Order: sequence, then structure tokens, then C-alpha cells
Amino acid sequence: MAILEVKNLTHTYGGNTPFINDAVKNVSFTVEKGEILGVIGHTGSGKSTLVQHLNGLLKPTDGEILIEQTNIWDNPKEIRKVRSKVGLVFQYPEYQLFEETVYEDIAFGPKNMGLSGKELEQRVLQTCEIIGVKEEYLQKSPFDLSGGEKRRVAIAGVMAMNPQIIVFDEPTAGLDPKGREEIIDVIFNYRKATGATVIIISHSMEDMAQIADKLLVMSKGELVMFDKTQNVFKNGERLREIGLNVPIVTRVFEALQKRGIEIPCDVFTVERAVEVLKRIKAGDPNA
Amino acid sequence: MDNIIEVKNVTYEYSTDQEIHTAVNDVSFGIERGSFTVILGHNGSGKSTLAKMLNGLYKPTGGDVFVDGINTKDEKEEIEVKRKVGMVFQNPDNQLVASIVEEDVAFGPENLGLQPEVIRKRVDDALKSVGMYEFRESTPHHLSGGQKQRIAIAGIIAMEPECLILDEPTAMLDPVGRREIVDTLHRLNKEKGITVVLITHYMEEAEKADRVMVMNDGVIIDDNTPKEIFKNVEQLKAVGLSVPQTTELLYALKQNGFNINTDVLSIEETAVAIAKSLEEK
Repeated sequence: MAILEVKNLTHTYGGNTPFINDAVKNVSFTVEKGEILGVIGHTGSGKSTLVQHLNGLLKPTDGEILIEQTNIWDNPKEIRKVRSKVGLVFQYPEYQLFEETVYEDIAFGPKNMGLSGKELEQRVLQTCEIIGVKEEYLQKSPFDLSGGEKRRVAIAGVMAMNPQIIVFDEPTAGLDPKGREEIIDVIFNYRKATGATVIIISHSMEDMAQIADKLLVMSKGELVMFDKTQNVFKNGERLREIGLNVPIVTRVFEALQKRGIEIPCDVFTVERAVEVLKRIKAGDPNA
Repeated sequence: MDNIIEVKNVTYEYSTDQEIHTAVNDVSFGIERGSFTVILGHNGSGKSTLAKMLNGLYKPTGGDVFVDGINTKDEKEEIEVKRKVGMVFQNPDNQLVASIVEEDVAFGPENLGLQPEVIRKRVDDALKSVGMYEFRESTPHHLSGGQKQRIAIAGIIAMEPECLILDEPTAMLDPVGRREIVDTLHRLNKEKGITVVLITHYMEEAEKADRVMVMNDGVIIDDNTPKEIFKNVEQLKAVGLSVPQTTELLYALKQNGFNINTDVLSIEETAVAIAKSLEEK
């Protein structure tokens, strides 16, 4: 069942001024419950503008956003309720930590939704368990944590609101390889534990190859591709035209094809690459 | 060897409420004039602190840093040190000061008190060297992240430094922006002979460097050519880093019984190695 439907969404900045600019142009797509959708596009392609519509932070100039078949702007006074259904984790979310303890910071969102007492405590502890924030951290100041830990706590704050859809804007930006891997694990674990739908913006094609079921590709405000991850990464040429690329391992396979080796090009992780090459080496005609 | 920077037994300590932390612990090395060095390390390994000591932004709490023979602790030579070694940071938006590209690039040379015609020439040359001359009359906030970062680099180049230190300049950029920056740095290194020290999390960016240093817990644990560094797959993973995906693939194939040359890094070389390995049956 589609949990989210975006219909003919257009967003225009600076209407009625000489600087009028369509940041998002007539974009339509649907997301199924429990899916991980990756959103890729060059800087300024409209992906951040697009996702800020999903929880009503921006209002469409034209078109509709439907969550569970209901237009989120049917009743504008109720738009805050949408924010507890759709959680948005901004870029560098650790800059938004502000409470005195890690516990208070994670509890802030659910508290604002009206949770209190035992229920609130349970919610915070549950979230911490899923994403691996250790209990001894809860009474620490968030500002005493390392960069990667801070980011994890900031993400926990949004997850603790139990959103049905959670949107991440470049969750791994600025982290080292281990930090990136940890955040990807956090997102996987959260989806597994809660069945939530996940939408991720990222510039790392390698991260996307690992995590996304489907990819939505934006260029100059328009949706140019929307398909399963392996199908999108078959279009190396087209992706490069719009300032993106395919994962490095896929580029190696493209180079092998150019050398006249018959090889499938829907390879975008190292595991799959090894599997395919092993079969070719063994002379399997169906490799 | 002719070194532009000499780091001698450098330590950097700082204290929070309760304890003293050692960000850099007794590190020594030299940076050869005209070379391209990459420093890798996980978040909190001390690499940014080290970088900020290379142009005197931070002063070592132990040991000394010399830039072209000048000790960075020498207050009289402070400006000279910063002229010789320029620094570029992660976020281009925090480094741009003017509303027109060429005015932004002119900011540094103007502060050096140069003649207008000299400034004009330096600004034009700097913008050409980063491939942004045609945008000289644009507004920086209308440019992409990679373009803005190239303007920030031009602003430093216009000061005619001998050495550029860049602290994760590509962390906030998309793949094209990242490639633009790395290509620009290699061009500046080759064509203008500028010494480059690039600090990064992206293993691929180290591929074409002359030398790679790996930092962990405030010390340098490895210092070699990229090919040699990336042979230590396990060690790199143990310190929170990784290897380029090409290396990862080659090692995975070797573990799966392929007789394959793992001594390569680029995509093209990797394809050649795989093709060769497939041929011999």
C-alpha cells in the first residue's frame, strides 16, 4: 500500500518577483510502506525543497502531498499533526542539540507530542536500544560526545517521535567511513524494528547502493528517473550528464564492458561484483 | 630534501573541565616543496588540529613547526607564515565575504596593500587557475557548492602562497563538486608548483597523491605512497577508515581464489587487472 503519494508537485520561489524560480517542477511519485527510497541529484537540483514538503514545512505552489490517502493540506490548522507522522532529520542535525542531557534532548520531541511519565521514559529508552545509544550516556551533556555520537543522539530525537515516515537529508555528510557505516546501520535497524518508511537524500552513490530499494533522481527541479536501485545504476551515461555518477565498482564494470568483455552492468556492490566475476571465471554462460 | 614545512616533535594539548586531552602527540615530519600530500584519519584523530598548526593558526603546546625556516611561534613573522601557507576549510559559505566573485577573491590581496593593477592581475590569474574566470561577475550564492569552494581556493591563491592546506574541502559537496576540487588541486600542484596538503575522509581522493599519512589518536601511524598505504586494508579498517572501492573489490577477488594484481588503484587499472585475471583459466 502506498503510504505517501506526491502528485504533480511544483514549488516556485520568489513568485511575482524578477527572481522567480521553479525549484521543483511537476514531480509525481509514490512510496510503499516500509520502503527505503534514496533521493539523488546535484547540488541545487531541488531535492531538499522536495523533501521539505513531505511534512508540511513548505506548502506546494501547485500539486498535492497525500499521506495514507489524505491530502496533508486539507486542513491547514492540523498541519502540525503531519509532523509527528513524518519526521525530518536535517543536514548536520547535531547542531540542533540544545538540552542539558542526552535524555532530555531525545525526550524533547515526544514530550511536545504530549507524552509524559512512564510512557515518555519508555519511548526514549526503546529508541536508544534500537539505535544503540548506551544507557550510561543518557545523563551526559550531549556536547561532551564525539561528532558521530552527537549525530546519533540528534537522529534518536526524531526517531523517538515514532514517525511513520522518516526523512534524512544527507545523514552521513562529514563523517569518516566508520561513522558512515554506523549511521547506515542505525537506519537499517530502525526500519527493521519499526517497519517505518525511510527517505534518504545522499551524495554518496556507494551508500545508496548499499541501502536504497529504489532511487529517485532529480535534475534542475525535475524528476528524471524513478526506479529500483539496480535499474537506475544501469544508466551511467545519463547520470553523469546530470552531474551524478554510479558507484565506483559499477564504473569498473563499465570499463570491463568497454574492453569487450561480456558482463552484466547491474552490479553496484562489491559483494555482487565478486559473485558475478566468480561465475564468469567458472565459465557459467548465465553469468 | 627541500622542505617547505618542518614539524618537529609537535604536541597539542587542551583542557576541558576535568581533564587534559592530547589531540596531537609528539609528531614529526617534513612536507617537501612542490609535493601533494593527503592526510587521512577518522573524526577526532587529530588531523584538523595538526593542519591548523601548519600555518600557525594553532601554536603547538610542545615542539615546533617551521614554515620555510620560520618558527610559527615567532609573533613578528605571523603574517609572513600565513602568506606562505594558505588554508581552506570545509564549508565554502563560511569563507566567502563579498557579494561579487571577483571582489571576494580580491579581498586578500587588497589587505596586503598591493597596487590596483597588481590586484587585478592576481584576481584574474587566480580565477583562471581554478576555472572560474567566466563567473567573475556572478554572485557567489548563485553558484554550486563546488564552484563556491573553488572561489574560496582562488581567494587564497590570489595571495600567492607557496603551500595550500585544505581541511576536508569536499565534505559538503556532491560527486561532481568533489571531482572539480580534487582536479583543481592537482592542476595547481602541477602547473603552479604549489605544495598541497589535503585532509579528507574520502579514500579515492588520496589515489593520485605523492604521499599519504594516516593519523590515529594524535599520532601518524603510516606514511607512504597511496599504493602502499591501501595495501593495509585491515589496519585502515581498524582505525575507522576504509580503502577505495577498487581496492576492496580486488582484495575480495583475491580472497575468492582469483590470481589477481592488487597493486593498482584507478578504475581503468582495476578493469585491466580483472580482465587479465579472467583470461588465465
